[in-house]
Amino acid sequence: MRQEVVFRMGIPVQNASGHPVGTLEKLVFLETEKKISEIVVRDLSGLKRVPLQWVRELTEHVLVLDHPGNLDDLPVFDISQFEEVPIWFYPPDCRIEVGSLLTLKPCDERLLGESEAMSRRDFMAKSTALVATLIGISLVIPIGGYVLAAARTKLSDHWVTLPVKLEQLPMDEPVSHTFNAVSVSGWMRVPVVRTVWLIRHSGAEDPFSSSEDQILGLDSPLEKSRSNPYLTVLSPICPHLGCSPQWFSGKKLFICPCHHSIYEMNGKRIGGPAPRPMDQLPVLVGKDGSISILYEEFQVGIPQKIRLS
Amino acid sequence: MKNRYAENHENRLMKYLDERIRLRALLGFLLEEPMPGGARWAYVFGSMVLFTLVLQFVTGVMLAFYYGGTPDHAWDSVNYIDHLKNGNLDVGRLIRGFHYWGASIMVVLVGVHLLQVFLWGAYKRPREIMWLVGVILLALTMTAAFTGYLLPWDERAYWGTIVGTNMIGLVPVVGPLLKSAIRGGTGLGALTLSHFFAIHTMMLPSLFILFVVFHLVIFRRVGPAGPFRGTSATLEAQKEYFYPRQVLMDALAMLAVFVLIAGLAVMFPPGLEAMANPSNSSYSPTPAWYFDWIFELLKMIRPEILGVIGLPAVIGLVLVLLPFVDKRSERSPFRRPVSVLTTLVVLGGILGLSIAAEAGFKKLVPLNPASVQRGKIVFEHSGCMGCHTVMGKGGHIGPDLSEEGLIGHSEHWLEVQFTDSSAHFPGSPMPPFTFLTPEQRRDLAQYVSSLGRTGWPDTTH
Repeated sequence: MRQEVVFRMGIPVQNASGHPVGTLEKLVFLETEKKISEIVVRDLSGLKRVPLQWVRELTEHVLVLDHPGNLDDLPVFDISQFEEVPIWFYPPDCRIEVGSLLTLKPCDERLLGESEAMSRRDFMAKSTALVATLIGISLVIPIGGYVLAAARTKLSDHWVTLPVKLEQLPMDEPVSHTFNAVSVSGWMRVPVVRTVWLIRHSGAEDPFSSSEDQILGLDSPLEKSRSNPYLTVLSPICPHLGCSPQWFSGKKLFICPCHHSIYEMNGKRIGGPAPRPMDQLPVLVGKDGSISILYEEFQVGIPQKIRLS
Repeated sequence: MKNRYAENHENRLMKYLDERIRLRALLGFLLEEPMPGGARWAYVFGSMVLFTLVLQFVTGVMLAFYYGGTPDHAWDSVNYIDHLKNGNLDVGRLIRGFHYWGASIMVVLVGVHLLQVFLWGAYKRPREIMWLVGVILLALTMTAAFTGYLLPWDERAYWGTIVGTNMIGLVPVVGPLLKSAIRGGTGLGALTLSHFFAIHTMMLPSLFILFVVFHLVIFRRVGPAGPFRGTSATLEAQKEYFYPRQVLMDALAMLAVFVLIAGLAVMFPPGLEAMANPSNSSYSPTPAWYFDWIFELLKMIRPEILGVIGLPAVIGLVLVLLPFVDKRSERSPFRRPVSVLTTLVVLGGILGLSIAAEAGFKKLVPLNPASVQRGKIVFEHSGCMGCHTVMGKGGHIGPDLSEEGLIGHSEHWLEVQFTDSSAHFPGSPMPPFTFLTPEQRRDLAQYVSSLGRTGWPDTTH
């Protein structure tokens, strides 16, 4: 290991014959080489740049030069051409005590003059910002579209034909019908078991043949166009908070076990906290009495019937 | 006036942040890197690699948003991504294209960066450790390319990984154990995919971040090497700081890389072959293009084990030992003729081997989408499905054609097959479809060539 060199600022500088010529003031640093190249000595006429090679001896108390005479012939140190080096650039094998290490300023500011150099710097900074913005925008647009693409995908309608015929259903008595369906979730198709309420009516003159949704006009165009006076299909999901209302044939009412919302046979809410009637689902009844339904789910807890998609 | 306000505004923000997090000192540390000899275009490659890495991180996270890493869903999820649209923009295919081409371009740029550092002699004292960390980053890049190849779980991915992991199995003593550990069992399956997904998306990114930071910290400690010509006094005189000129050069280089990757992603979207089929015995796997030369070299080296173990070992050893063996301080490539010429010969060899490998691969018929579409109609209306199955639909008298396009028959071969099957298969029961017009035969050949390569169902809605 090399001995660490200690530069203590303010110590006297002597020439080769032992006469004091000034005091050690600053050090000049070759930044690219990470080497100290010159020392700056204060003598009676001001600051002088002395090459490091002239230093013969360096202790903590005195710096002795090889040079015999005074420092008059040496170049004057001009602070405006130098700038202070941050501490992390200090060379590893010397220690500078209470002083500053300086380096030549970069050429563009040295050669061009301050204002022109600043405007060039500014131009380059702005160009960099422009390039970064260009790349950023061209990335953010496809990424935003990509993230939202699945969110915006319209749910396609999957009609399911139930394994039951209209004439097999009891008249004016809701039946909880369970069927197999496929739930689509992104790239996955999951077999699920679903349940709906099927309520058969004798015809349009039956007081319960129009669902409460139809009467109040909560239905979407799809649900309006796909309804049938002989059959009402109700969602099993309570529009209050998503529990499952049960049919009580003695009372002729749907009652939700969770918060006691009460509905009539056509879904009309007659009591409890639910904000809207039970949700009617679209249905198609074929000439042979086959039943096709479209299973939909709606937002719970609000008076409007808004389909989740 | 506006300008002054903006400046004032910025200064206030700067002042606020400087007071709290000492931002000025931090920015100074990051940007005031002295560059001996000034800014140069030759120094942009490191930043370009870093940019592609960040792009891979961003697009990779995006792909993981929709990816399902199990054999029964991986292919479906990639097909789903391929069909994702937002308005008229094929966002899914675009993001996948970015990641796919970003990987290729990153491999190229890592190579160019390495070559530049080598030619400039920038690996020499005191930059040996930085070079070593760079070699580790090269290994990480190649591992990322290898593990990412499997994730779409199509035929190409599956069979390429079968071969790649079999090569690992040839390593003496530990090989079989290593292969089973990587595969998660003897065969390639669900655990292999999970292993590769975890390595590709969790392990490698963490290691990348760690070693890139390490690489940059060392870079700031030792500083850039600068040009190989010029005395220290002239280099000091021409010195510039990293900011702003080199930063602008780097930014422009990054923009060029971005435009290149985006252009490739739009013009040549990555394909998706039929889902991995372990019982497909006719598939001939080909490596990703950057492994082509190893593929070709392995054909020549016997015994195989010498190539499989020897080649990476020699490359690794040469790269690791280079700065410790080549200790002369001479940096100019013109005064290091032996090492520079050796490198150029090796590079020429790699290029030649890659070209030879590509020439040796079976060429698949180039597809014309309109013709494929017409051919599909011909296929469905000419009775082909009476005997042949395509994607689960059709008869079972003739062979299943679901992956026929991957076999690599020429269009001419297929057209002969339609009209005169016994020319290829003596005694074939296939009737001659001579009633097809030449036009229809061409379209049908195109359609059959596309089977197993394109035309997957859109599952996004």
